[in-house]
Amino acid sequence: MDQLFDVSLFASTLRMITPILLAALGGALCARVGLFNVGLEGLILIGAFSAIVGNHLTGNVWLAVLFAIVCVLVFSLLLAYMAIHLKANVIVVGISLNFLALGLTTFSLRAIFNVKGAYYDKSMIGLPKWDIPLIKDIPWVGDVVSGHSPLVYLSIVLVACLQYYLFKTVSGFRLLAAGQNPIAARSLGIKVTHIQYGAVLMCGVLCGLAGAQLSLGQVTMFTEGMTAGRGFIALVATMLGQSNPLGVAGASLLFGFMDALSTRLQGYALPVHFTMMLPYVVTIIAMFFFKDKSYLAEARKANESSR
Amino acid sequence: MDKLKGILKALLQPLLAIVVGLGAGAIAIAIVGGSVTETYAEMWKGAFGSFYFFTNTLSRATPIMLIGLGVALAFRAGFFNMGSEGQMVLGALSAAVTAIYLPGPAWFKLVAALLASVIAGGLWSAFAGWLDARFRMNLLITTLLLNYIASLFAGYVVSYPLMDRSGSAAMAQTVMVDKSVWLPKLFQGMSLHAGFLFALLGAIALAWFMRYMVKGYEIRMMGGNPLFASYGGVNRGRLMLYSMFVSGGFAGLAGAGEVLGTQYRYLDGALTSPGYAWSGIMATLLAGSNPLGTALAAILLAALQTGGMGVERNTDVPLEVSSIIQAVLILFISAKFTYSFFKKKKKAGA
Repeated sequence: MDQLFDVSLFASTLRMITPILLAALGGALCARVGLFNVGLEGLILIGAFSAIVGNHLTGNVWLAVLFAIVCVLVFSLLLAYMAIHLKANVIVVGISLNFLALGLTTFSLRAIFNVKGAYYDKSMIGLPKWDIPLIKDIPWVGDVVSGHSPLVYLSIVLVACLQYYLFKTVSGFRLLAAGQNPIAARSLGIKVTHIQYGAVLMCGVLCGLAGAQLSLGQVTMFTEGMTAGRGFIALVATMLGQSNPLGVAGASLLFGFMDALSTRLQGYALPVHFTMMLPYVVTIIAMFFFKDKSYLAEARKANESSR
Repeated sequence: MDKLKGILKALLQPLLAIVVGLGAGAIAIAIVGGSVTETYAEMWKGAFGSFYFFTNTLSRATPIMLIGLGVALAFRAGFFNMGSEGQMVLGALSAAVTAIYLPGPAWFKLVAALLASVIAGGLWSAFAGWLDARFRMNLLITTLLLNYIASLFAGYVVSYPLMDRSGSAAMAQTVMVDKSVWLPKLFQGMSLHAGFLFALLGAIALAWFMRYMVKGYEIRMMGGNPLFASYGGVNRGRLMLYSMFVSGGFAGLAGAGEVLGTQYRYLDGALTSPGYAWSGIMATLLAGSNPLGTALAAILLAALQTGGMGVERNTDVPLEVSSIIQAVLILFISAKFTYSFFKKKKKAGA
């Protein structure tokens, strides 16, 4: 048991959680303005791929992250335009965006790098590891918290920022109002459409960061469909956290821990299949205990018809 | 006359989408430096170039069709069933296990295997429906998560307890199904098997059911206006269980068709890697959940895929070009562009 729950398990939990957490925060923003964003998976995938491409072209990690953000922004703009302007069903657009991301990334993988399945470059430098002064000298805690990529710390900071923004600032309240009751918000002169665009674009930025952490954070590589359902798990984290940044962080922590645990358990005598199942099973169990709030149900009701 | 107009109007959107999709494909081809006309000619040949290729396309369309029909039923009722992959995998596994281990005459085994696949897929799907109806757990998410669980479970079953240890190949697969239980081929030496007939019959039956049966009407009402439906006395929970069961049953049958008609065994990953389930969902979206339209859309998507393989064989353009065309198709369909062209919508609010 001691070997199972050691320092590196918790350290890898923090690493695993970051893409999920970033995407889930984006999903929470979208959910708050009444758009149920199913396209997270596709957005992260585009982010992961364009981060690698940016790194390949510029050779600079920060420019690569920026490039990933820009690429994902374009696609989230597409989603926003279709859902808000053309009044298309958000869920259907989200699903088709996932298809588009998968098709585009596999095609571009062939077109740009001329490889199939996975791209791996030994000479490519990933995100740096930052040590936090003072904290890194504390035994155990230092090993867990310190020495991660900047994006890991950024995601933690973002949770606090978003929490403050949503519940302590005027513009955050406007965003909440736009989602809670668009018609009432409009009658007060709040520009609901602008706010919705803003939320979806911000979600795009977050998903770009999530993708960059996924492809440049651990090993610098890209594999086809490397998101492997993380976008959907982020969606669940959004729902479990009731679109509350702190709640979302808690839910993501649970999944990140399960993810890390399932990788760790593979070293034991359990069949790989069952350890890999763990995050999904725990997600379903967690869904059972945390019901989503009424406004999400409202948003769902509005989208209940698939035509 | 009005009917003809309606049909034309319904067809305009998909046709437009196909043109746009092919346009996007042309751009992608140009970017990688291939010749657009040559590539599309190869694509056509790879899909319909000869009788052999044509039947090949149809046999690829078979599971896509069946899955698409199931998803269409659920979508019509307003239930986002995204779990076709898991339902198909479990259906395929049950069909294989039944066909291999059940004693009895061959016809009995075949019927039992098909039934088992429908029941397995249906129950897996209805389980998600039950979670939604009983505990308000979002169906879209649970079905997605259940996909991973089903695939991993099936993978476990064929890697450990039921693994084929007879041959030298250490692959995660069951033993071969006995030849007497195979679904017959429709043409000598071609890959098209009797499962295609199930898909056709299913499409016609589903179209008829949606149009003329009370239950079909209730499903359409539920999807069109849930409040009106519940006011009219439709029980949402019960309807969800039924429609999800049938929806999953179709997906399970698709899996059985692949096992008994093409591979003759359950091989881990053989059903998930071609992405049949997602193609099925795409076909449904493309046809706006219309059963007959879904069948046609399934053939179109299968043709894009087999055509893409032809392109891969004979030109330097990667076959992924077909997945771009497919995705753009769906994206274009999902937004009602034609509407926004004809009816200038008033800008809301802002």
